[in-house]
Amino acid sequence: MSRDRQGRGLQVISRTLGRLLVRAGYHVFVSQDVMSRIRGGHNFARVRISTGPVAADGEKAEILVALDPALVVRHVADLAPDAVVLTDAAGGMPEGLNAVRLPLVDLAREHGRDAVMANAVAVGAALALVGLELTGLEDLFESQFAAKGGDVVRRNMAAAEAGHRAVVEDMKRCCPRKLAGAEPGDRLLISGAEAIALGAIAANVRVVTGYPMSPATPIVEYCFRHAREAGLIVEQTEDEISAANLAIGAAFAGARAMTCTAGGGFCLMNEALSLAGMTETPLVLCVGMRPGPGTGLATRTAQADLLFVIYAGHGEFPRAVLTPADAAQGFQAAQDAFRIAEKCQTPVIILFDQFMADALWTVERSELRVENRQERQVPEGVQPYGYRRYEVGEGGLSPMVLPGTPEQLVYADSDEHNEAGHITESAAMRVRMVDKRNAKTAGIRQEAEVKVEVEAKAKAEKETLVFCFGSSRGVVAEAVARLREKGRKVAMVHLHYIWPFPVEAVTALAAKGAKVVTVEQNYSGQLAQLLAQECGLRVAGTVRRYDGRQFSVAEVEAGLEQLTREVG
Amino acid sequence: MPDTASWSSTDEIAWCPACGNFGIREAVKTALSELGLKPEQTCFVSGIGQAAKAPHYIKCNLFNGLHGRTLPVAAGVKLANPELVVFAEGGDGDGYAEGGNHFLHALRRNLDMTYIVHDNQIYGLTKGQTSPTSEAGLKTKTTPCGAIEPAFRPLALAVMMDAGFVARGFCAKPRQLADVIKLAVQHRGFALVEVLQNCVSFNHVNTAKWYSHRVYDLAEEKHDPTDRDKAYHKALEWGDRIPTGVIYKSGRKSYDALRAEAEGNRVSVPRLIDRLLDQFA
Repeated sequence: MSRDRQGRGLQVISRTLGRLLVRAGYHVFVSQDVMSRIRGGHNFARVRISTGPVAADGEKAEILVALDPALVVRHVADLAPDAVVLTDAAGGMPEGLNAVRLPLVDLAREHGRDAVMANAVAVGAALALVGLELTGLEDLFESQFAAKGGDVVRRNMAAAEAGHRAVVEDMKRCCPRKLAGAEPGDRLLISGAEAIALGAIAANVRVVTGYPMSPATPIVEYCFRHAREAGLIVEQTEDEISAANLAIGAAFAGARAMTCTAGGGFCLMNEALSLAGMTETPLVLCVGMRPGPGTGLATRTAQADLLFVIYAGHGEFPRAVLTPADAAQGFQAAQDAFRIAEKCQTPVIILFDQFMADALWTVERSELRVENRQERQVPEGVQPYGYRRYEVGEGGLSPMVLPGTPEQLVYADSDEHNEAGHITESAAMRVRMVDKRNAKTAGIRQEAEVKVEVEAKAKAEKETLVFCFGSSRGVVAEAVARLREKGRKVAMVHLHYIWPFPVEAVTALAAKGAKVVTVEQNYSGQLAQLLAQECGLRVAGTVRRYDGRQFSVAEVEAGLEQLTREVG
Repeated sequence: MPDTASWSSTDEIAWCPACGNFGIREAVKTALSELGLKPEQTCFVSGIGQAAKAPHYIKCNLFNGLHGRTLPVAAGVKLANPELVVFAEGGDGDGYAEGGNHFLHALRRNLDMTYIVHDNQIYGLTKGQTSPTSEAGLKTKTTPCGAIEPAFRPLALAVMMDAGFVARGFCAKPRQLADVIKLAVQHRGFALVEVLQNCVSFNHVNTAKWYSHRVYDLAEEKHDPTDRDKAYHKALEWGDRIPTGVIYKSGRKSYDALRAEAEGNRVSVPRLIDRLLDQFA
């Protein structure tokens, strides 16, 4: 665990450490706990290191890195019994801890010529505590600070070396937390938000829009940073209404387009969502969940917008909702979203939680496959000026011609329209068009049916099925694994394609299982409601959390144990 | 005579007889045919209102979206396909009330498109409520004692924002309006064409006759549209004399031109992703 009061470089410390460890062959999981302010506040990151895959925070910290010793007291309860506390030599801290007090700031000034280099000192020191050398660190600093010049890289490196040396000299009176040997692999450390952005780029997105709002901002910022090389048009619009409508205009004109926001901004996009449904425009929306209502907890996590997103927008129209668990699923979800949006000509929502977006996940590079599939149905043999945008085809689909095509015109309308796209008030045509639009749901549902993920080990016979979605997957999988070790008959079912609800697959699973429970980060048990509504299942109980923080493995394990006992 | 027939639609027209929209439609068709464009080279984006139905009544690509959301959709179309000659079209309520924030930022962004606003100072489709451009004192269904607020002056705002091209036409002078629209299309940047229009059903003050007695052509006064101070005064002139024609032209480069200058070379997606993923190793 690493923390600091000024918010200075917390992300630099955790990401640099994480990447170095991943390069050394470890699996790393980094989660951020950040307050909603520009500087200061109580911010920290948890870094979990393992020789095998990890997708959740660990329980107790083995090492606490605190640039300011005054902050150690806040984390005493989070420490393992013999945890090492690495902190500055100056300042008071609680007694009785296994402390490594180093002059972090002085070393930073001396070797890095700047107090801010205390971050680098801490990185070097932390690596020494786990028994690693600084091999490769300079290369990492270079990739991180290349834009700031070679001098910054050299000063960071000098500071890190000073920190490393200081710990090694200090070892005489302190036990390092030496890591077990790891198998190097081709792995990456990447945030959920970055993975979604990269997935969109892999899907050949051309236009990305957004209005800054946590936790969606990092997706847009990543796109801005790489706009030139990726040939992206990235627009920060005047509001979310404009962001969504601009993306719709771009999609109508033939560009793969995506807009990014959080629950509150998505409220403003509801009208546009409905417009995309009516005009049958392929639109991808990234919607980040944070605790509401209202502004809620701006920088924290929740899963309380599931039902809202599924039912958002006036009128009836098809949509897909994907709920990726982690970076690998986020990368895939973005590609799937564009494929479905284009094929079904309807909005697709990537619904992620803040925890998923901001956490850094270790991903096998081979898991991130570029599919780059084009799904646009181009009509053939259309008479000059004879194209009909809303011609009723199989599964409610119409061939898609783009405006600008010689000798063809495209009419799209948010009013009810005829097959050509002109306004109509005909009752018969209204029914025909409602049927056409909603017929597309069946096609999207088929996609969802095959994506229901049942934990591989599960036999799903007379077991308790633990349903979850989004970033809960990592925590639930670990809790369920522990329960199975204890001989409990439980299995996890993670839904990352949640709407249209995979009714058949879930019903078939539940028919074999003894009972159904859910784990979700909301008050009202929204997934449990969906299971009841869509599949007629009686949900025996829900492990809930709604304080804006991610579940811990222990609390999910305890919650599930209690539920299986209660209903067992 | 320009060949406006090739720009004619067969869609049934839902406007009131003698509506000012008919004159605007004629001017648009004249301008398009005189510009030598083909229907498929154009894309009209509109919102909701009687004016917003206009694209259905000519022959063009069209996206008839939501009330007030015309400009963002038009921006998306232009950014995605810069080859299209993009028009946004709608009324005063659509553009200045519901779409007010988008209007403000479209002026600032200066994308290459032509925005035609049918301004009749009243809400027509919803049957006679006050609009942002209703004159103070105008009695409507929602201002039975007369409008309290002063009218919004969109052209003055546009000049203040250094919008690319700012002009005004009058629906009963379709020849002048067509010329203004042609200049607007030829301008590289955001072009606002505000069209004074009578509403035969709901605005019995600002009638065609009322406008006819007041409008004059700036071209006849040798107005220099590059003089921003003078343009600002002309944009605010209202009452006994109302100027029409080109009020202001900015030397500002369009957003799309500036964007194009910053464009990089695209590489193939798999290669690009490989390169980007390397940064996370």
